[in-house]
Amino acid sequence: MVTFTSEMKDALRVPGKGGSLIHMATSSLEGKPNIAAMRFVATHGDDKILISDMFLLKTKMNLKENPECSIAICHPLDSGRDWVFKGKAVDIEYGFPPDFDWYGVKAKEILDKWGDWATLEPPKEVPPDIVFPKPAQRGVVVLHVEEIYSIEKGKTGERIQ
Amino acid sequence: MSIVLTERMKGWIELMGCHLCVATPEGVPWVTVSRFARITKPDQISFAMEKGEIGVIEAALSKNPWVAIGVSKQGGIRAAYQFKGKGKVLRSGGEFDAIKGVAAGIATDAVLIVDLTELYCTKPGAEAGQRLDVMAPDAVDAWEKARWTDIPGK
Repeated sequence: MVTFTSEMKDALRVPGKGGSLIHMATSSLEGKPNIAAMRFVATHGDDKILISDMFLLKTKMNLKENPECSIAICHPLDSGRDWVFKGKAVDIEYGFPPDFDWYGVKAKEILDKWGDWATLEPPKEVPPDIVFPKPAQRGVVVLHVEEIYSIEKGKTGERIQ
Repeated sequence: MSIVLTERMKGWIELMGCHLCVATPEGVPWVTVSRFARITKPDQISFAMEKGEIGVIEAALSKNPWVAIGVSKQGGIRAAYQFKGKGKVLRSGGEFDAIKGVAAGIATDAVLIVDLTELYCTKPGAEAGQRLDVMAPDAVDAWEKARWTDIPGK
């Protein structure tokens, strides 16, 4: 069982609010890995990370067959935010039963708060040649974190929690 | 089609380093970082890895050679690509010595060499997930230049 520190919660927010860009890693059931950077990130409670399902493709396909997932801080790196969060994730999409439960959180409470994320936390800091022209959110990925390890230089791989 | 990394891709990869993802044959992903990357062939990236960095991924990599690569730091957003290929770990020989010899500031324990076979755009929006290695190298270069021209360090 993990408990996020306040520093981790500060880091796991959208970059425009002082948080971080993250890399989200998944795998097909046959072991083909996938990694992609994500901007819409938040925490829920002390052991859940939320990611917007806005333009997920392979990540979504992988999570449909395999919940194993890791999230690493991408930027800023080497500034005290050198963590990888590892656990099991589900993509709670619109249409899920409201009482669908993922390790203690309900689909309704997640979608009610985070289901229109681009309005809630618009990507004002994203450069115009990168930002998407129109949001198309289909759900929210919820990662239940079971392990945290370091990617700090000289300490990479050391288990933190 | 074959992959030929563009000058811009090279610039971002080599300046920022990369996040590397491997998976066990059963599909458990593991992420590590390499703070030193060099383009050693048009379709090959070599990474100087410290002991802990390679330690995170070596067990999985020994059973499953697939490696997925995203650029670190600002490259995560500015270099909106995912590179995939098969990797091998070296601890001796000419390729190992060549990378270790130029990887300043890295306590190189191993060199990971990834031969790339897949290239994807990860820019959010309509082109997210667009596979680029199906295009001719010149077409990829033109596609990129029409969108971005920033090359770090230049």
